[in-house]
Amino acid sequence: MKTKLFLLTIFFSICQTALTAQEQKMTAAEIASFKEDVNVVSKKIKTLSTDFVQYKHLDFLSKDIETSGKMIFKEPSLLQWQYKKPYNYSIVFKNGKILINDEGKKSAVDTGNSKIFGRINKLIVGSVSGNMFDDKEFTISYFKLKGQNLAKFIPKDATLKKYIKQIELTFDKEEATVVQVKLLESSDDYTRIVLKNKVINAKIDDSVFTN
Amino acid sequence: MQKSTIQYLLINCLLAVVLFSCGSVTKNYTPKKLDKTSYEVPYFSDSKTDYVYKTNITVYGNELSGIFIAKKINDTTHRIVFTTEFGNKLFDFEISETTFKINSIVSELDRKILINTLKEDFRLLFKKDYLIQEQFENEFFNIYKSADGKRDNYLFLTKKDQKLEKVIHSSQTKEKFTVFFNSENNIFAEKIQIIHQNIKLKIELNYFKSEN
Repeated sequence: MKTKLFLLTIFFSICQTALTAQEQKMTAAEIASFKEDVNVVSKKIKTLSTDFVQYKHLDFLSKDIETSGKMIFKEPSLLQWQYKKPYNYSIVFKNGKILINDEGKKSAVDTGNSKIFGRINKLIVGSVSGNMFDDKEFTISYFKLKGQNLAKFIPKDATLKKYIKQIELTFDKEEATVVQVKLLESSDDYTRIVLKNKVINAKIDDSVFTN
Repeated sequence: MQKSTIQYLLINCLLAVVLFSCGSVTKNYTPKKLDKTSYEVPYFSDSKTDYVYKTNITVYGNELSGIFIAKKINDTTHRIVFTTEFGNKLFDFEISETTFKINSIVSELDRKILINTLKEDFRLLFKKDYLIQEQFENEFFNIYKSADGKRDNYLFLTKKDQKLEKVIHSSQTKEKFTVFFNSENNIFAEKIQIIHQNIKLKIELNYFKSEN
């Protein structure tokens, strides 16, 4: 009897976990209100800095590859993505150029003519600020989670689609800001980036974006 | 007089041919009696280990960096994935001594000559079993020669602690490329370099520990 009860408890707790984790589709009204909330917040963003932890998941590995660092953005399109652990690697997007500092080894790539890099830049800024609701670029679907909202973006552009199958942005419900970015390459392999310690509109000097 | 000159020339030519066929790899080393007929490489042999390296590839002056991930997925095969620092996959291969499968590759790297070069490099990097036909030595190394089709591999094991420090892949006349290993414990290689002699290609792998 005791064992039965024990099993039943486990069964129910598993069910509950499954239920709370389940995504529930938003209604049209909920979508409108959610987008409005995010847009209001992201429009106010002049600068943004955040710590991040990146988990690279490959299905055949025994554990995710974890790297971490800091991301800084300044309007209209200055962006620095800096890995600090376990290695130093920093990449700056600035005036159509990509500046790389790889453990002190510096290089630059001119992306002025590269459409794909322009898109990637827009994508990163959009992912972090949340303002990515472009129906021309993506097929978007909206879900509710416990205390969070989730938007799934499927690229329409064939070139982009080759690299990214789907982007999932998880938003804090109260703050309407992004807390997690998930880039899916296939059903089994993805990159999950968790954002934390976000600071909005602190003064950031342009000189930060040198590498 | 003339006859002896011809003879002299002939001997010289013959000598040159003999030296030539000995290959450039071993010319500075002393032949030695075989102390083993086979060798098993310890690196990349554990199926439970995720082999994760920060990687720099220099090809004809161009730099490419990213993360190199390898895992032994069965007795004969390794899976190799190369991603950017952001995590997007540049290529995903499965390789054994006799098979090669491309799971994915970005169009920018999808060139036959590049893929064939990487295939050769990785095959040697993961090669576990060597049969040895000849042995040489110098002050620091025991050098084992192992036939590899029409080519040869030369394994350099330190005399001090029997660590495999490099493998030279060579044709009869020329060194093609060399894999250098740095290992603390003789099981896991923390640093690896693959350097080509005939093309300007260098691949450098530095192991990094994930934080979790």
